[in-house]
Amino acid sequence: MDILSVKDLKKHFGGVKAVDGCSITIETGTVMGLIGPNGAGKTTMFNLISGFERGVGEIVFKGIRTDNLSPFKIARCGMVRTFQIPRALTKMTVSENLMLAPNTQAGERIWDVWLRPKRVREQERQIREKSRDILEFFEISHLEDEYAGALSGGQKKLLEMARAMMIDPSMMLLDEPFAGVNPTLARKISRYICELRKDGMTFLVIEHDIPAITKISDRIVVMNEGKVMAEGEPEEIKRRRDVLEVYIGGEG
Amino acid sequence: MIEYVDTLLPYITTILLISSIYAIFSLGLNLEWGFTGLIDFGHVAFLAIGAYTTVMFNMSGFPLFLSVIAGIVLSGFFGLLLGIPTLRLREDYLAIVMIGFSEVLRFILLNEQWLTRGPFGIHGFDRPLQDVIPYQHYNTFLLILYLAILVIIYLSLERLVRSPWGRVLKSIREDEAVPSALGKNVFWYRLQSLMIGSAIAGLAGAMLAFYIMYIEPNTFKPIETFHAWIIIILGGTASNKGTIVGALVFCTFLSVTQFTNRFLPFTAHQMGAFRMIVIGLLLMLLMMYKPEGIFGKKEELALSD
Ligand SMILES: Nc1ncnc2c1ncn2[C@@H]1O[C@H](COP(=O)(O)OP(=O)(O)OP(=O)(O)O)[C@@H](O)[C@H]1O
Ligand SMILES: [Mg+2]
Repeated sequence: MDILSVKDLKKHFGGVKAVDGCSITIETGTVMGLIGPNGAGKTTMFNLISGFERGVGEIVFKGIRTDNLSPFKIARCGMVRTFQIPRALTKMTVSENLMLAPNTQAGERIWDVWLRPKRVREQERQIREKSRDILEFFEISHLEDEYAGALSGGQKKLLEMARAMMIDPSMMLLDEPFAGVNPTLARKISRYICELRKDGMTFLVIEHDIPAITKISDRIVVMNEGKVMAEGEPEEIKRRRDVLEVYIGGEG
Repeated sequence: MIEYVDTLLPYITTILLISSIYAIFSLGLNLEWGFTGLIDFGHVAFLAIGAYTTVMFNMSGFPLFLSVIAGIVLSGFFGLLLGIPTLRLREDYLAIVMIGFSEVLRFILLNEQWLTRGPFGIHGFDRPLQDVIPYQHYNTFLLILYLAILVIIYLSLERLVRSPWGRVLKSIREDEAVPSALGKNVFWYRLQSLMIGSAIAGLAGAMLAFYIMYIEPNTFKPIETFHAWIIIILGGTASNKGTIVGALVFCTFLSVTQFTNRFLPFTAHQMGAFRMIVIGLLLMLLMMYKPEGIFGKKEELALSD
């Protein structure tokens, strides 16, 4: 079963053809790596899929046409993304950043704040617990009550991922999850992705770290100049002469 | 000494009454700007809608309580009406539309004499429990009533901004892309904030009308909106406590400087300008030494980047 299929997607910025007729499909419960040189259009692809940019073409997620839905509706369908440049909410604490995420909170409705205070409190407790578990996993527990503005670049990256995990999405789009993250933690995140995948979660991951991405991906898509230039299993991709030339480099 | 107390007490009562009205008016704006990041430069419009609706309903025979409710509801409704076309756009659109709306509204109030009596204003409407409370104690009664309302509004707002609902507002204030990516309907939250903020201003409008017993369109000039902004910045953006203290400080200042008029070689007109210069200077000093305001949190400074 395909969870996401993108057909002939296009997005032009003036003369720049950022995404120029891309089609990809992702099977439920797999990890798809998205690689390609700087400016290939990978992040633009994410923006289109998550609704932050409007393009031309067809996007179907879980059988729903999402190409003209707003970002929050797409997220409600069970797809959550992270941003390449982390967007920590710097004027809120780390814990608040995480607790913001879940969409099942009764306390997000004004009338429930008044009419069902017990339920709101109970949910807050559960969500706080969950956020503590996730913070522990990302090894930033000690920062729980800090303002997110006080975090380092790498820590903000971790916060961003931790926040996305709070939603229990069915699909995650991760934009360079390992960039700026220390190697041991990067390996830990890789293992976590593989675990979640076993539980049925689907991933689309942009990454420049080729060894890391080939290790966790079931399939890999290579983009170049807005187009899909190759798609296949990691081993296959690593041997493709054209991919080596434009992106991976080396002898070939 | 006794004589002194006799004049001082009513004077303090007056300051506290005005402060409580300004505090509630500003608390509405603080929800919009302080917690949601909405730039509302026409907040006074909702003060006017609240005041006029309450008074006009009452004059056409409705009981006072229902009239006040009508004023609150109609203010909130106009907040909704103005929010729908503007809150999807960039934040400065709201600012422009709001200031335009507040001025257009004032001109309508001035010109539609058949409805509002225009520049002559409206008086002779009921005041809460006016038949029960003796006239010489009425302001004391009003003060107790207004302080009670202030406490209720304050506690309600505190509860809201500390709830998950308030958490979403704060996330919108900083970077709407984040709550959007997480599945929050940013537009709807903004709309709720604007509606509630406007409704609170409507309540303040009714309170103002009861206190001054007479309303006319020029009571609702744009300067009142900016007084609320000064109060918020003074007290500390996104602090409800700060807003209340800010209102008290601001109103005391305005009132005391009215007093000192006698000792300064200014005409009344010059004095008004002089006061604004002093307030401007004080705000500049505040921005230099304590930019987060009296009760604001430095880490949550809304204007920091
Ligand atoms: N908002 C925008 N306005 C104009 N041009 C844009 C915009 N966003 C992206 N582009 C252009 O589209 C092209 C693709 O950009 P994109 O960010 O998708 O690249 P990328 O593959 O994510 O690169 P990197 O690996 O460096 O992150 C670039 O040439 C970029 O300049
Ligand atoms: Mg990118």
